[in-house]
Amino acid sequence: MSSHHPVSSSSLLHPSRAQQVGRVTLILIALLFLFGFLILPVAVVFTEALSQGWKMYRDSICQADVLSALRLTGLVAGIAVPLNLVFGLVASWAITRFEFHGKSLLITLIDIPLSVSPVVAGMMYVEVFGLHGWLGPWLSEHNLHVIFAVPGIVLATVFVTFPFVARELIPFMQAQGSDEEVAAVVLGASGWNVFWRVTLPNIKWALLYGTILAASRSIGEFGAVSVVSGHIRGKTTTLPLQVEMLYNEYNFTAAFAAASLLTLAAVVTLGIKKGLEMTTGIRRGNEEEEVDS
Amino acid sequence: MSIQIEHISKQYGSFTALADVSLTIGGGELVALLGPSGSGKTTLLRIIAGLESPDEGSILLHGEESTRHSASRRGIGFVFQHYALFRHMTIFENVAFGLSVQSRLLRPSRLNIRERVRELLHLVQLDSFAEMYPEQLSGGQRQRVALARALAVKPKVLLLDEPFSALDAKVRKELRDWLRRIHDDLHVTTVLVTHDQEEALEVADRVAILNLGKLEQTGTPESIYNNPASPFVYNFLGNVNLFHGRLLAELSFEERAGSTERLIDSAIGFVRPHELELSRNLPADRRAVVASVIRVHAAGPQIRLELSIAGSGRSVAAEMGRKQFEQLALVPGDNVFVWPQYIHLFDDDRAMSLLLDQGAGI
Repeated sequence: MSSHHPVSSSSLLHPSRAQQVGRVTLILIALLFLFGFLILPVAVVFTEALSQGWKMYRDSICQADVLSALRLTGLVAGIAVPLNLVFGLVASWAITRFEFHGKSLLITLIDIPLSVSPVVAGMMYVEVFGLHGWLGPWLSEHNLHVIFAVPGIVLATVFVTFPFVARELIPFMQAQGSDEEVAAVVLGASGWNVFWRVTLPNIKWALLYGTILAASRSIGEFGAVSVVSGHIRGKTTTLPLQVEMLYNEYNFTAAFAAASLLTLAAVVTLGIKKGLEMTTGIRRGNEEEEVDS
Repeated sequence: MSIQIEHISKQYGSFTALADVSLTIGGGELVALLGPSGSGKTTLLRIIAGLESPDEGSILLHGEESTRHSASRRGIGFVFQHYALFRHMTIFENVAFGLSVQSRLLRPSRLNIRERVRELLHLVQLDSFAEMYPEQLSGGQRQRVALARALAVKPKVLLLDEPFSALDAKVRKELRDWLRRIHDDLHVTTVLVTHDQEEALEVADRVAILNLGKLEQTGTPESIYNNPASPFVYNFLGNVNLFHGRLLAELSFEERAGSTERLIDSAIGFVRPHELELSRNLPADRRAVVASVIRVHAAGPQIRLELSIAGSGRSVAAEMGRKQFEQLALVPGDNVFVWPQYIHLFDDDRAMSLLLDQGAGI
């Protein structure tokens, strides 16, 4: 065997029989796990959704409630994602380009939504904006509805998704350093020019990557939104909430049909993410080598 | 354009980067700021550029107070150690950047920019690289692009921050000579930061040596080399020899009889390797020590010898021409008489250089 690979003598590349058995066993376990816990359930979503045929599937999705949930989910993501994009950019810029007191605190704070249960996030907003909350009386005086209305859903979604862009950008911008921006400033570029012509082109893939993660989370968020939404059919139900409602009503086919939309969205996101990784190498960390030999 | 650096101080927390540094750089001059890392030379350069602001003191560019002017307004070309080329732009776009971001009123026409970039790429001998990206170029080529980019806006001052230190020795030497030629052509006031003594002494009109945030000595390369003002400068320039693989000889003479001892108590003296005389026979009127030859480095025009002084065992380096070496025909194990032609003595920051007369010695 080694005569075919005269260059390598590594035991990893030329395993003994016992090693080979071990390797195959490990791979099999991993594959079985993946199949049982991921592929099978996803397949069930689609088979259940289509169990009554295509027509039934289409009718389930074209219900007014489901369509309205779809629209609301789109609206919420459409507001939350751009907000997070701007926040993520600003926070990353501040953290990687300036020295200031409380910087490490800010980095920690950015991670809070990832460590706090979304239900708690939802309850925080009810506590602040709810009828009996701090701002509740003032809001109701002015006839403003936050909780059990669309603004509350947007707020909750922004909260749970806001680390995604910043967490992608900060390590990336730290690795790139600020030399190019300083060079641009010395060459006489305005702040506007520096951002659009130097910073943004350098971080665009990492920015897009973080944005996709944020979008995927804002489409799928359940816990936080569930607390603040009030589940008003056709008004304050997002797609994940709609799935739950249909399911609780034993309307399984419709529930799975709606769920299949969410699953499709996830698959598409994964595809774009994978495509980005392959074309730009963000995850592989092959930062362009700057220091020459 | 002249640069006046007046009483600049800069503190980072408890670390003093610069302490009351003053220096005037004449128009068209090429000055090297030389010092070890942490000496404050890069901080000073960044203060001149406007990338840092001093705690105290002021920077005058062409006589005009500029301390509070932003970097983008100072009309400065800056070259970074790691090039800092815009990685997503072609070489052409990189060089054109400074022109293309100028305000509409000042910006040259597209055609003029193209012409200017072409000129600059020709100047840095990269005519055919216009459409390539920085990552396709070698380090030396990238640094030449960086210089072209800095020169594109016709800066009144060119600042270079250790521009060649990331390059290998041969390219470094080529670029150094080339920088000097470009400077002679363009006569733009240039400040070069470097920790490489040889680079500073070879390229600059004037060298300013910094240590621990203070200016140790300023002068022409020749005067600094011949008359180091302090043990630090001597030691630091001695690294020029070290750079060639030679050791600076430091000889103490307290315990030895000689005319120098009566002049100075507990001084330290420096002798450069090539200032040591070696002989197989002791001249009648000389004081000398006996040393044994430890090693001979005979590759190159100068022969380097490692010696061990008999008795003290102190290690000393000597250097001589090939001809003299062939006359002496020394091999490891041989004993020779050693004495210095010159001793540079430092006594409480007083410096003096002694040409040793007959009768003096170590």
